[in-house]
Amino acid sequence: MNRKIALTLLLTASTTAAIAGPIEEQIRFRQSAYSFAAWNVGKIKSQVVDHPETFNKDAVAAAANAIAAVANSGLGALYGEGTDKGVGWKQTRLKPEFFQKKAEVTVAANTFNEAANELAKVAATGDINAIKVQFGKVGESCKGCHDLTRIKE
Amino acid sequence: MKVTIHIWDLPLRLFHWLLAIAVAAAYITAKIGGALIDWHGRIGLFILGLLVFRILWGFVGSTHARFLTFFPTLPRLIAYLKGRWQGIGHNPLGALSVFALLAVLAAQVGTGLFANDDIAFVGPLFNFVDKSVSDRLTGLHNTIFDLLLAFIVLHIVAIIFYRWVKKTNLVVPMLTGKKQVPKTLAASVAGRTVSGVGAVGLILSLIISCTVVWGVTGGIAYLHPAETYQQTAQADPGF
Repeated sequence: MNRKIALTLLLTASTTAAIAGPIEEQIRFRQSAYSFAAWNVGKIKSQVVDHPETFNKDAVAAAANAIAAVANSGLGALYGEGTDKGVGWKQTRLKPEFFQKKAEVTVAANTFNEAANELAKVAATGDINAIKVQFGKVGESCKGCHDLTRIKE
Repeated sequence: MKVTIHIWDLPLRLFHWLLAIAVAAAYITAKIGGALIDWHGRIGLFILGLLVFRILWGFVGSTHARFLTFFPTLPRLIAYLKGRWQGIGHNPLGALSVFALLAVLAAQVGTGLFANDDIAFVGPLFNFVDKSVSDRLTGLHNTIFDLLLAFIVLHIVAIIFYRWVKKTNLVVPMLTGKKQVPKTLAASVAGRTVSGVGAVGLILSLIISCTVVWGVTGGIAYLHPAETYQQTAQADPGF
């Protein structure tokens, strides 16, 4: 009987963790997601903007797909109530106003999602100039969200 | 009785207006972001060049461009505040503003060299510090901007104050280089108002300014390669 209760408690705890997760876990996952995106943003920046002579169509397309995958992964689930305070890999910089500005945040986040998906499409064509233009738009959409939701360093 | 004298030399005026345009452009490109952030970086390097030039010009430029000519010493400041100061270049209070603006701009450019935007931009010296240090310097870059903005507002308010209250137009001399001053004052500095716009000093200042800018962009990277991981990453890692 005790074992059953223990098992139920354990299952409940792990399911809850999988659905919402404690605050630190949400922060850690979202920091990881953006770090992974940043790695891919860096690849495109390097191969398309800074050193176009190193442009590799497949690598850039793969990077763009990775960014789009992060954007499409439902990141909003990692911004639960109370996640404006806490340490993931490091202290979160989410503004407390985030939760009062949900409508604005949703618009800014969807702007990023659309820009990232468009970048994946454009990257598939291998047209470096078009990629460069769309890459700039993705950068703007990143900034749009940062300005709205992140406490400045 | 007033006479017209040549007060601001051409390199100084070019410096002033190019700096004003560059700071405005740096602000706009930073605000918009996206692909323009790369232009923000280039404009920052241009401002670095301008600042180095101005510092050198403060030693080899013409009379009223030289720091020693207008250095705001305490006796000069006291004399000015008591209304006893007489001169034709930067007055001691204006001189304080000059040095403050130069110092704030230098701090702004200096932190910008190490900054990152957490998106797709890093300053040319980013690779020489840890990301956490770069983040802190980026924070300072944001904070110093507010300070810079305050000094720019003060600068413009002072110009308006001089125009309407003290009936002195400061803008026209900065455009034309010429200023009307009382003959007695002009006589006291006669013969050395535009001294020293020497070709050698000008060329050397320009060469050193360009060298410093090249140094932080290409030079240091050449002497001390700090390639980013992205540049050395294999194109086809195999999995």
